Amino acid sequence: MTAIFKREFLSFFRNPVGYVVIALFSFISGVYFVNMLMNISVDISLEIISLRSFFIIIVPIVTMGLFSEDRKKGTEVLYYTNPITMFDVVAGKFLAAMSLIFVMFINVFIHMIVTKAFGGVVGAGDFGAAIVFFFLAALFVAIGCFASALTDSQIISALLCFLFILVIQMLSTFASFLNSSVSSVLILMNVDSEKANAFGSGLADVISWLDPFVKTQRFRFGVFGVAPLFFCLSMAVFFLYLTFRMLEKKRWSQR
Amino acid sequence: MIEINNLVKHYGTKKAVNDISFTVNDGEVLGFLGPNGAGKTTTMNIITGYLSSTSGTVKVNGHDILEEPELAKKDIGYLPEQPPLYNDMTVIEFLNFMCDLKKVRKADRKPMLSEIMDMVKISSVSDRLIGNLSKGYKQRVGIAQALIGDPKILILDEPTVGLDPGQVIEIRKLVKSLSKNHSIVISSHILSEIQAVCDRVVILNHGKVAAIDTIPDLSRRLSGTSKFLLTVRGDGDDIVSKIKMLTSIQDVSIRRSEGEYYEIEILVSNSAKTDPREAIFFALAKAGYPMLEFRSLDPTLEEIFLSITG
Repeated sequence: MTAIFKREFLSFFRNPVGYVVIALFSFISGVYFVNMLMNISVDISLEIISLRSFFIIIVPIVTMGLFSEDRKKGTEVLYYTNPITMFDVVAGKFLAAMSLIFVMFINVFIHMIVTKAFGGVVGAGDFGAAIVFFFLAALFVAIGCFASALTDSQIISALLCFLFILVIQMLSTFASFLNSSVSSVLILMNVDSEKANAFGSGLADVISWLDPFVKTQRFRFGVFGVAPLFFCLSMAVFFLYLTFRMLEKKRWSQR
Repeated sequence: MIEINNLVKHYGTKKAVNDISFTVNDGEVLGFLGPNGAGKTTTMNIITGYLSSTSGTVKVNGHDILEEPELAKKDIGYLPEQPPLYNDMTVIEFLNFMCDLKKVRKADRKPMLSEIMDMVKISSVSDRLIGNLSKGYKQRVGIAQALIGDPKILILDEPTVGLDPGQVIEIRKLVKSLSKNHSIVISSHILSEIQAVCDRVVILNHGKVAAIDTIPDLSRRLSGTSKFLLTVRGDGDDIVSKIKMLTSIQDVSIRRSEGEYYEIEILVSNSAKTDPREAIFFALAKAGYPMLEFRSLDPTLEEIFLSITG
């Protein structure tokens, strides 16, 4: 696993991907931080929350080549024919991508230090937001791994990952839309309005239950919980398992 | 030692590999011969664990490739048709990565790598990016990669494809020198290449084993249909009739003519007991036709299959 991890992590810096991602993240986080400094009200947790909306661009760039490049270049043979397991391969690549995310997140730690050094407040909520950031990143990187294992084209895998993350980011919007539209359709169909509303909001609850952003929103106020983190982690493991199955399937394919 | 039993691989309705069984003994060089699409690469991919078979078993030194993959794969070095190389790494970085994958101990690395790089002659390019190397060097890095971890078995899929003649000879020499302490499986669709390095040949056709033979046995089987080509200056029809009169000549035909120069193909009958070449020489010398070229024609793969299956 360390062999794969080392190679993948270093390969981010053998081609532009690593530098592009780090530069992009530094720039965006810098803009937020400077903006807050100019208004003399620094809230690091707010900065982190805002940065999360850039997962949709950054994660696909990081993960798009993880598996698709190997398949395209024929280097995946190395993983199947050497004394390592597919688990090593998936875990190594996932951890390499997470490490890149960590490296780019160092920016935010620097902002925390700067804030603290100049008499600002860095509290539990800020660290809560940082923790959530990493657990969400793990979930999205796992999705990116899966998208990359689906195809041998980097572009398509990036697009797929983008779409997956887009859907997750819009879950809440989607839920409230469903809530109102389903209940009004049911009322039109002569369903008792109380029941129709209950059904609509029930449906919305089911969908927003899946929303990792909603689940983890209290962390930034310093209210921590294990359940939301466990949710993100188990979703990540689920997608990594799917990735693993995709790689195994390739080998057993009979078409 | 590799034992392959009743290997079958389906691709849709097509059977790419259809019930293949054979054994690769210790210290032997086994040639895989067959036309494109015969199932050579598929079989090799199954032996190395890259693909799974539909049915049948592969055992490497007693370890089943599916049941105990890590033990089995430890003994195998594989060079696929397209060498699996990372273009963004330098040669030495890549070989170190391969040491990581094959779990070579840190202390053994340096001497092993310098030995391998000397053997395949890539020491001079060790600091260059693989992406910038020529095809021949990439192939050699591919072979070096297969040698890491000192596997007892080497599986080389068409190692000389796309190389220039000088490089082909060098790779053959390398395979010969490796054969002293490795079992080697090498595939090709060129007969002469297999003849040059192998002890035994497995001939595949349409996913089936058409023949398993040692090289001398194979040539004996093939010698039944020897063919000669000669270039003579003179009167074409007369030359043909002169040769036809000799014993044990089955057929004579003019392949090509250019003015007074004739290229003549001679098919010697299967039952010939004596070598007809001397007789041909004297007959033409007596008639005063100067012979400019005289050589035996290597049987083509198709002819081999015809002689083996037919």
